[in-house]
Amino acid sequence: MPINHLLIANRGEIACRIQRTARALGLKTTAVYHFADRHAPHVVAADAAVELHAEVPTAAYLDVTQLIAAAHSTGADAVHPGYGFLAENARFAAAVEAADLRFIGPQPTVIELMGDKLRAREFAVKHGIPVAPSATQQGGLQAFVRAASAIGFPLLIKAAAGGGGKGMSIVHHADELAARAELAAGEALRYFADGRIYAERYVDRPRHIEVQVLGDGTGKVVHLFERECSIQRRFQKIIEESPAPNLPSALRDEICAAAVKLASAARYRNAGTVEFILAPTGEFYFLEMNTRLQVEHPVTEFVTGMDLVEAQIRIANGEPLWLTQSEVTQTGHALECRVCAEQPAHDFRPATGAIRLLRVPEGPGLRFESGIQEGLAVTAAFDSMLAKLVCHASDRNAAIAAMRDALAATVLLGVDSNLDYLAQIFAHPEFVAGRLHTGFVVEHAASLVAAPLAPEDQAAVLLAAALADDGFRRMAYAMPEPHASIGHWRN
Amino acid sequence: MPLTLHFEGQTHAVEILARQPQLRCRVDTAEHVISETAGDACWWLTLDGRQYQVWRVCEGERVHLKIGARTFSVDVIDELDATQHGSGSDELRAEMPGVVVALRCQAGSLVAAGDPLLTIESMKMQITMNAPRAGTIAAVHVALNQSFQKGALLVALEQAAETPPA
Repeated sequence: MPINHLLIANRGEIACRIQRTARALGLKTTAVYHFADRHAPHVVAADAAVELHAEVPTAAYLDVTQLIAAAHSTGADAVHPGYGFLAENARFAAAVEAADLRFIGPQPTVIELMGDKLRAREFAVKHGIPVAPSATQQGGLQAFVRAASAIGFPLLIKAAAGGGGKGMSIVHHADELAARAELAAGEALRYFADGRIYAERYVDRPRHIEVQVLGDGTGKVVHLFERECSIQRRFQKIIEESPAPNLPSALRDEICAAAVKLASAARYRNAGTVEFILAPTGEFYFLEMNTRLQVEHPVTEFVTGMDLVEAQIRIANGEPLWLTQSEVTQTGHALECRVCAEQPAHDFRPATGAIRLLRVPEGPGLRFESGIQEGLAVTAAFDSMLAKLVCHASDRNAAIAAMRDALAATVLLGVDSNLDYLAQIFAHPEFVAGRLHTGFVVEHAASLVAAPLAPEDQAAVLLAAALADDGFRRMAYAMPEPHASIGHWRN
Repeated sequence: MPLTLHFEGQTHAVEILARQPQLRCRVDTAEHVISETAGDACWWLTLDGRQYQVWRVCEGERVHLKIGARTFSVDVIDELDATQHGSGSDELRAEMPGVVVALRCQAGSLVAAGDPLLTIESMKMQITMNAPRAGTIAAVHVALNQSFQKGALLVALEQAAETPPA
């Protein structure tokens, strides 16, 4: 029986995004929410909504027992995990299947394989996918330091169970290696309850290129081309695009083929992403595979014209892959940026507050994906991403122009955000030239600071603020004065 | 009396010079002629003949603005309140919401200026907070792994002997 009622085990923009496709396919949806999210858009738009109880809001969305009970009580027959939370948790996937529900994702064993960075690397090596020279932790710290030193410096220390930049550290000199390794192992233990670390060659000025794949679980896999995600801050992506600029097509084909080979070898089922590091020399190395829908999936949807959530559901329904590689095409250029509640001028420190005013840009080739609305409180309880702005145009320059217009037209007041900062990046000559690498925002930090305001523009800002003050308005327009006229009253 | 505004770390004064025939204001040292077209959240401000589209929303004394393609926050200072600010170095408050990941002091601890008192984490970022001055810890208001809101009092120092009561 095909899926007809989806429980979405997530919140925010991705829950809204999944609901949209579910509705289009005629499926019912169950939303889940913590009390803190009770007014959120993803709750309102669902066919059923179940409150999850937990003291800490994020814990609610991680509660497997409550999620499965919510699916059963509302008649859902499948679970979509979105991204984050339980999306790459093999035990959750297994629990969902054990509860007679369809899991919109890969087989639990595949999630487990790819979730362990060390096992995933070994799997890649076994199947002829290039990986960066590395050293794994076998035995004590001393042995690790010796093995890691042999890779050469600088090198990167990572957590085996890691992700999101946690437990990650660049080591430039041999004498700091031991201390950094110990620190990274401690951090890995704290965040992932797994203190295993490994070291790999640090590629200077690397690009982050990833490949979207679709597999049906039989070994048949197609790729939906690449995405470039090199614009990152604090190891997290903020701008993504497809196609990758200045990427020779032979190299692009080679990277995409490697992704297909890996996913096929794993008999991958679901939409997934194989991430690579591309060195300036043209060598590329397998980084990791994300066994879920990616935040940046809309750029692929724009250039391929496909709905990835729909593809996930069709695969979960057991449908054999319905398209061949030659039927997948890439048209035009798509860009995405992540609008986050943060202060770029203060090392991207997260910001909180309430969204007091929100105006969203609209138009053809434009998607503003969010789970926010006016009046919504932005707290530290969840991730700082508020929305994604995605646009599609005939070529990269046109897409950049469309993005700049869209950012200018987006009004988001009440909480500090990176809107202006993103606009600075899209206006930066190096970005426009497509000279990208993961250290872009650090390298160009000085030229990404907004130009100081011209004196008359600063006066306009100050007067616009002053005129918001009741007392000042009264003095300006309403105080008794022989020549004052009521016609000057304004609100 | 001019209105005092705080904007990007600077203090500015805005004063009304004339209301007729047009509104004339002095911003710091420069004079400007202003007119507005009424609107709700969005309206037009004309300054010396130059038009700006303004999106505006107020939150207490803070005014959030989007003008042109840029976003700004300006604090309108209430003169009565302003005189009551100051001191504050006896308290360590959270600049943003988060959770305590390491606690390095307890009530009664003697600390030197700059000593790390606690490490907090907020949305994937760790920040160590240091003693603003030398002194004795009067109270630690948070526990390890406890979460708190922006502005929460984390640690209080005993009032320094040489500081007269406020």
